[in-house]
Amino acid sequence: MTSPKRLSQEHQRSLERRLKAGDERALGELFDLVAPWILGLAFRILQDEDEAEEVVGDVFVQVWRHIDQHDGGRGPLVPWILSIARNRSLDALRRRRRWWRKSAHLEQAQEAMGEAIAPAAPHEAAVPGWPMHREVHAALAALSEEQRRVVVLSYFEGLSHREIAQRLGQPLGTVKTRLRMAHQKLTEGLRHLKDWVE
Amino acid sequence: MTDWLGLLAAPRTPRPELKGRVLARALAPRRRWPLAAAAVITLAVGGGAWWAYRTIGTLTTERDGLAARVHALEDTVSTFIHGPATRLIQIPVSTGGRVGAVTIFADSVRHRWLVRCDGLAPNARDQAYQLWFITDRGMATAAVMPMDQDKPMVMALEMPRGGEGGGDQRVLGAAMSIEPRAGSASPSGPMVFHRLL
Repeated sequence: MTSPKRLSQEHQRSLERRLKAGDERALGELFDLVAPWILGLAFRILQDEDEAEEVVGDVFVQVWRHIDQHDGGRGPLVPWILSIARNRSLDALRRRRRWWRKSAHLEQAQEAMGEAIAPAAPHEAAVPGWPMHREVHAALAALSEEQRRVVVLSYFEGLSHREIAQRLGQPLGTVKTRLRMAHQKLTEGLRHLKDWVE
Repeated sequence: MTDWLGLLAAPRTPRPELKGRVLARALAPRRRWPLAAAAVITLAVGGGAWWAYRTIGTLTTERDGLAARVHALEDTVSTFIHGPATRLIQIPVSTGGRVGAVTIFADSVRHRWLVRCDGLAPNARDQAYQLWFITDRGMATAAVMPMDQDKPMVMALEMPRGGEGGGDQRVLGAAMSIEPRAGSASPSGPMVFHRLL
């Protein structure tokens, strides 16, 4: 098994500089580093391999054309890319005519398997960023079950506070409180994270 | 920090061909046709606006001119119709098997006639109606009126004041004949009417 990739801000900054300079090889390197996570995130939201691959294409087009919009001083590159992937995936999800059916299917799957908080299998440890994957899971695991639930519904299904409250049959104020406390804990738990490179 | 939550999802190894497909798509030259289309639309809209501006200006000028002419004609007609020195002469005519009328408002003070022709048959292509003043010195042409459409015709005419030998001509009546399209110096064709006033 390949050893887990380590974090390196310098490599990330170098990669970003090359992307901004129009270095096409840098885009290929970026693909190797983050495509598995983008694909995984898109698939997690969409539950469809073809649509998830389409999102990966959309994300890299956007990153390549708008890399200048990323301000390195305001945050690392990978979270920026992940936020693009999430937004694209949720857009695709909302476009679906079978949105509610898929959503219900997702919810059932999550309830049955706990998929949303299950860490990757050991054979994925060679994927760049794997250590951070574990750390994010650890941060999520530190939340209460109710907090995890609202975070997952908000992040992976793009539900509004009101929709989450309806889904869970909980008061809106309770949902807002749980989300706020969960975000505080996650921010604290993930504050030390930086981007990764080998 | 919650942007890191994307890493909660298990990574998936992309199919081998996905990298080539994604990079080819991202690195493909951006299509510029939307920009070109926007430029064409902008030019078209700008050109259209300029054309509309020019057209509106021209039409406004024409409208003002026509309004002035209509106003002048209204004054003229009103003067003719309501003037105390105006005589009204209505002459029934028959042309091409149709019955019509020539109405003359004769203003002897201003030496002007207002003539309205109704129901005249359209002329042959090489002919025209010609209106004549009957004077004490002979026939004097008043107007040549090619009639190509079946609709009334109105005209204002200056009465003849002087002859070649000097002195006033006295208008005794009116006549209308069918003449060649360019008109004649003296009546030569069929007479439509000949009327002493």
